[in-house]
Amino acid sequence: MQQSVKRVGCLAQFEITRLCLTKSGVLSLLAFATAWLIILYYPVNYAVEWVYSDSLKDIARDIFGAFGISELLNWPVPEIAMYWLIALFLYPIFAIIISSDQTCADRARGTLRFITLRASRTEIIYGRFLGQVLILTGLIALTLIASVIIAVMRDSSLISVAFSLSFFVFFELVIVILPFIALMSFFNSFSNSSRKSIIYVGLFYGLLPMIFALLESYVGQLSYLYYIFPGIQLSNIINPTDIELSFHLLPLIQMLVLLVLSQFLMKRTSI
Amino acid sequence: MSILLQAKNISKSFGNKQALKNVSFEISKGAPVALVGPNGAGKTTLFSILCGYLAPSSGQVELFSRAPNHSSNLSRLGALPQDAQLDPRFAINHQLKFYAQLQGLSRKNAQIEAERVLELVQLSDVLNEKPLSLSHGMRKRVAIAQALIGSPELILLDEATAGLDPLHAREVRSLVANLADETTFILSSHDLNELERLCEQVLFLENGVLQQHQTSNTENSTHCYTLRMAHEQPNIGGALQSISADIKVTKISNKEYVITAPASGLNLSIDVEVLKLCHQNNWHYKQLINGKTLEDKLFS
Repeated sequence: MQQSVKRVGCLAQFEITRLCLTKSGVLSLLAFATAWLIILYYPVNYAVEWVYSDSLKDIARDIFGAFGISELLNWPVPEIAMYWLIALFLYPIFAIIISSDQTCADRARGTLRFITLRASRTEIIYGRFLGQVLILTGLIALTLIASVIIAVMRDSSLISVAFSLSFFVFFELVIVILPFIALMSFFNSFSNSSRKSIIYVGLFYGLLPMIFALLESYVGQLSYLYYIFPGIQLSNIINPTDIELSFHLLPLIQMLVLLVLSQFLMKRTSI
Repeated sequence: MSILLQAKNISKSFGNKQALKNVSFEISKGAPVALVGPNGAGKTTLFSILCGYLAPSSGQVELFSRAPNHSSNLSRLGALPQDAQLDPRFAINHQLKFYAQLQGLSRKNAQIEAERVLELVQLSDVLNEKPLSLSHGMRKRVAIAQALIGSPELILLDEATAGLDPLHAREVRSLVANLADETTFILSSHDLNELERLCEQVLFLENGVLQQHQTSNTENSTHCYTLRMAHEQPNIGGALQSISADIKVTKISNKEYVITAPASGLNLSIDVEVLKLCHQNNWHYKQLINGKTLEDKLFS
């Protein structure tokens, strides 16, 4: 058991190295950093103007109200509110892209054959998953710290409230991305390229709802089927006051189910 | 002798094609084992099943008395799969260290182990190179080094010397011979001379069927010698037969003869008599082999 945990840790550590030491990993990080630089510089930095300026305040209230997220305007640190709004929808996409190659390139190259002589397939699934979770958690933390710095630079008295809000946002975002990473572990358990894995995600979110809708037209309401989609709860948690325990449990259950399925498939797939 | 590997009635089909048909054998700790067969005979499929990369359609494989993928077997088996490659994005040292750490070695010992196995394949100087900067043969030797990490009890090498120059192929052969006391090797190759030199047990696959499973001890009632001449000699068959009426001389080719003698009851040392005959007639012989060549065993 101890050895097994050690191997999972070793595999996770290698994932982090893969992101930081390879050209493709560094390029992904650069693309990510550029995107966040733009987000932090424009929407997050100017969030305060939206909220406090007399001319924009009403527009913001109208827009946010129309989407049912006017609660966010009451946050004491508008920068974090804006960050939350953007990150909640962007991080799942980042999670899908960044974790799209967990085992598939190694399978195509045959490197997985070297690894399976030293680690079980279950350990490989969980090690790679853990590595991706650590990477994305780190990225969330970094971007969140940058948002806090922007807020504190404007008004240093916000430091404690900005940090406490950040902890909340960090916790919620990590829970949100877990099933997305697990979804990529699942597609990686039988795909042999990251591009294919992303295509599978497109089909998963594009085709399945259509099939479910078709089924519903024959057999009536089947709303519980939609719980298989990671992120189904996102629109319900934008307003933090609306967050219920079930919105935390759902992504965790999705993650567990996807990981067990990945493990099951990985054990039966030829490598 | 402890059994390392046991295959019981393994069959494997890919669609309509049956790659392996009821293959059964067992391998005990000891001298290297050869896996021989023509292209498409099912050697790589068998290797993949033994390593746990593929599941058999039917039958059972036991590696160290467990299923190949059982966690207790991790790091006890080393393998050189035919087409597997190291990750081109990382230095060789980085990857070998990672594999050693997965096998339970500390960071420091993993570094020592990576250097040790590269030294074994004479590639210490490529420690910090990336795989793509190496030649095909060097990449193959690095992959062999990977199989040696942690000195596993059983190592499967699929076409280990294919694509290597003669010098490095020879080095790999001598490496296998040197490590054979502590590790049991299963080698697949098309080079029968290579396997003959290294292996005592032979698994011969043809069309997915295990045709022969023999060891060097199978010829009990008779004893054979194979004589290879440097030049063709017109009267050599009769001269060899004149050594004794109890022996049988078979001409394999114009320059190769197999002399079969009863294992006991003959007061002559056939090999000594054959050498005397060559010396007296000033015939140049190339080799006198104690036994049949592997090629003759399998194909004659």
